Amino acid sequence: MHTIQSQQEIINALDRMNYVAADAFATSLFLMLKLQKPLLLEGPPGVGKTEVAHALAKILDTKLIRLQCYEGLDINAAVYEWNYQKQLLGIKLQEGTALSIEEKEKHIFSHEYLLKRPLLESITELYQSPVLLIDELDRSDEEFEAFLLELLSAFQISIPEMGTIKAKHKPYVILTSNRTRELSDALKRRCLYHWIDYPDLALEMQIVQKHLPGIEASLLEQVVKTVQAFRQQKLAKIPGVSETIDWAQSLMTLGYRELNQQSFDQTLGAILKSTDDINQVKAEGLV
Amino acid sequence: MKQQAYQTTSLTEGIVAFVHFARSHGLNIGLPETKDALLAADLGLLINRELFKDALKTIFCKSPEEEKVFEKIFLLYWDTNPIDLQERKGKATVQGLVEKKANATLVMLGRGDKQEQETDAKNVSGANEKERLKKTDLAQVKETDAAQLEAIARKLFREMAVRMRRRMKSSTKKGRINLRRTIRHSISYGGEPIELYRKSQKPKKQRLIVLLDVSGSMDKYSFYLLRFICALKEQFRQLEAFLFSTQLLRVTKALQLNRIDQILQTVSDQAEHWSGGTRIGTCLGKFNERYGKLLLNGSPIVLILSDGLDTGTPEELQKELKYIKGKARKLIWLNPLKGMKGYAPIAKGMSAALPAIDAFRSAHNLESLLELETILQDA
Repeated sequence: MHTIQSQQEIINALDRMNYVAADAFATSLFLMLKLQKPLLLEGPPGVGKTEVAHALAKILDTKLIRLQCYEGLDINAAVYEWNYQKQLLGIKLQEGTALSIEEKEKHIFSHEYLLKRPLLESITELYQSPVLLIDELDRSDEEFEAFLLELLSAFQISIPEMGTIKAKHKPYVILTSNRTRELSDALKRRCLYHWIDYPDLALEMQIVQKHLPGIEASLLEQVVKTVQAFRQQKLAKIPGVSETIDWAQSLMTLGYRELNQQSFDQTLGAILKSTDDINQVKAEGLV
Repeated sequence: MKQQAYQTTSLTEGIVAFVHFARSHGLNIGLPETKDALLAADLGLLINRELFKDALKTIFCKSPEEEKVFEKIFLLYWDTNPIDLQERKGKATVQGLVEKKANATLVMLGRGDKQEQETDAKNVSGANEKERLKKTDLAQVKETDAAQLEAIARKLFREMAVRMRRRMKSSTKKGRINLRRTIRHSISYGGEPIELYRKSQKPKKQRLIVLLDVSGSMDKYSFYLLRFICALKEQFRQLEAFLFSTQLLRVTKALQLNRIDQILQTVSDQAEHWSGGTRIGTCLGKFNERYGKLLLNGSPIVLILSDGLDTGTPEELQKELKYIKGKARKLIWLNPLKGMKGYAPIAKGMSAALPAIDAFRSAHNLESLLELETILQDA
């Protein structure tokens, strides 16, 4: 792994990973790497928040550890759990031995019996800092968010039976949120922040081109322009960049070289994901 | 006015002064952020103006709204030329919110000026009195009773919040076996899990979205209803509150800070602009459009407090309610008029709304509001 010295290097490196990053975003990533602070990414769905973590892990040639948040996510699923079956077995095996109760207890609450979940895994990496992606944090409960505070500021986790485990290599943490609820101020204070919005025409064309190198220039422009126009309309679900790519790909797969009425009607499902939207757009016709 | 860039002599001082400047404009920047900003400058992010701006932005801002403010003050701070300053001086801060501490409670109830005369009004209290007040229609409250009713309301709402919380706690006796504790305690029995320890699922707190009608016809009720909403805040994981009449206004933040007075002040300030009848459908439409995607997922409970006297078209109202209904766990409509004898929901707005509503309740006195406790509890 080579060290990154400027934000331009990040742009170039991400570019090699097929990820097109705007300048401001690269600056945020650069600071995240240098200041070793978590980076909170917010923005509408489908603008590449999760994708960047994958790309970053590849650049740094390190492991990506991902934690998908959901309502009801608790410590057992996110941090660690004891291996109960093994513990029960361990107790049985110790039955004949002359160990004291304290020693027995210490034995079955040792590393051997610990199941690491993503968060604990991220701070116990032995050789180099991993990238830790905490995805869609806004879906988790507030209690969980509060728990994260210790991890994000001190990079340590306390396990009552074992004591505090401190990170040998601080993970690079990327948190993403779709803003379905406001995250707590305490959490935000511990993070760098970047808002990713939908890209503009030129940038989006660049992104699609990157993913589909074989696309024809005229089709590319038509598709991206149409999607940009969709975003201006009142739709139930606004298409993200990933949908643009899907759409362009569907058109290419079906062998269309331009966007006409027929191809438009046939492939609309790749870009719009609600019947209301499709009907609305169809009524207005091809732009 | 805080210092600006041209008044500082070194780079460090310039950055630190910028932090002060940004803070005075409402950005919440602490010492760690300042430190990070200086470290960022040290990393060579100073070579380029855009780069430096982006770096400071990612460190200082915590929401897209803050990013907008930041853009503005960044220009203001680094680009202010002393020569232009004479004109700027008058403008002071963007945010300097002046809180008017008028007694908004009374303004709201339309008796701000009579305050003095009522202070020594009768103060007879007792169980009967309390029961009577609980049943009194909020719009018919006599001026002499207003203060007392407010005190009772406050107390009852607080009790309700505590009660709801406590019930949640005691109803969690059973649950899955807590293997961790069980195993730990089984060691002393030689590994036989004789005592089983259980762990209960914490009761999930629901999300609640409240839309309160503050139009002229609701005037007398809105004050108490607002108090009521404030009490509900305790119980729900997340409470989003909106006021509407001809426009929609989000008051979640103010409510969190317990600034009822401030909300009432805003309402009475805007009251004149808001005349011309309620447009429930339009306001709900605006809610769906602006906040729907954000707030209506995860099936929250939606509570609408309105008398249903709508000047918009019933079709519009129906459409918007249907949309909400599709996303919400439960749609509850509280109508103060329902408490009136002989009231039937025949106002065209209200009758259009009925099919989409899960529960249609009255909300004309304290008692009816307290009944809501059961509905919300089960939801």
